[in-house]
Amino acid sequence: MIRVQKEDFDIGELLSAVKSPRVGGVSCFLGCVRDSSQGRRVERMSIEVYEEMAAAELEKIRDEALERFQVEEAVVVHRYGDLEVGDNIVFIAVGAAHREEAFQACRYILEELKRRVPIWKKEVSPDGEHWVEGVRPG
Amino acid sequence: MRVRIRYFGQFKDLTGLEEEFLELPEGCTVAEARELVKQRHPPLASKEQILVALNGSFGDLGDKVREGDELAFFPPVSGG
Repeated sequence: MIRVQKEDFDIGELLSAVKSPRVGGVSCFLGCVRDSSQGRRVERMSIEVYEEMAAAELEKIRDEALERFQVEEAVVVHRYGDLEVGDNIVFIAVGAAHREEAFQACRYILEELKRRVPIWKKEVSPDGEHWVEGVRPG
Repeated sequence: MRVRIRYFGQFKDLTGLEEEFLELPEGCTVAEARELVKQRHPPLASKEQILVALNGSFGDLGDKVREGDELAFFPPVSGG
């Protein structure tokens, strides 16, 4: 399951979605809005997305993770729009037979997302708005 | 040929545009289209990293652009 949405998500529901009788371990990552960045106070954040491409790219990354780490199921949800400090941004959950593959696949999805998925953060600080410098694709 | 150009992230601010439609020469490659867009929008010219997606996916700079295609220009991504 891949979702790119404005609304918040239900973590319990997403964790349940990767469980099955074949799953012995679930690994997950939750990203949320921090109140500081590079020495600046962050008051809120605005996230922009190239929606059609982001969903397609996330599907590719998910499929790569399933194949590469032989995990059972993976879900990724990324939010966009205006967010406050503490709000959820992204959630990744991976269900696998064993913990090692679950951890590895979860990490893989996160790192590839940060490298390839067309999403941009703009932080709002007391001195103005700042686009977050992206990770260069290698 | 007419092509839809979209801008995202900081590039939307730098160009002042979300999208525009441009006439590009037949046989134009992604790299050539990028040069034309940089000439058209000088604030983009100084950007070290300009990523391009053709019809919603990363391709090769040598890929040919065709009538009705969608080209998106944006800075390195920063999601997650």
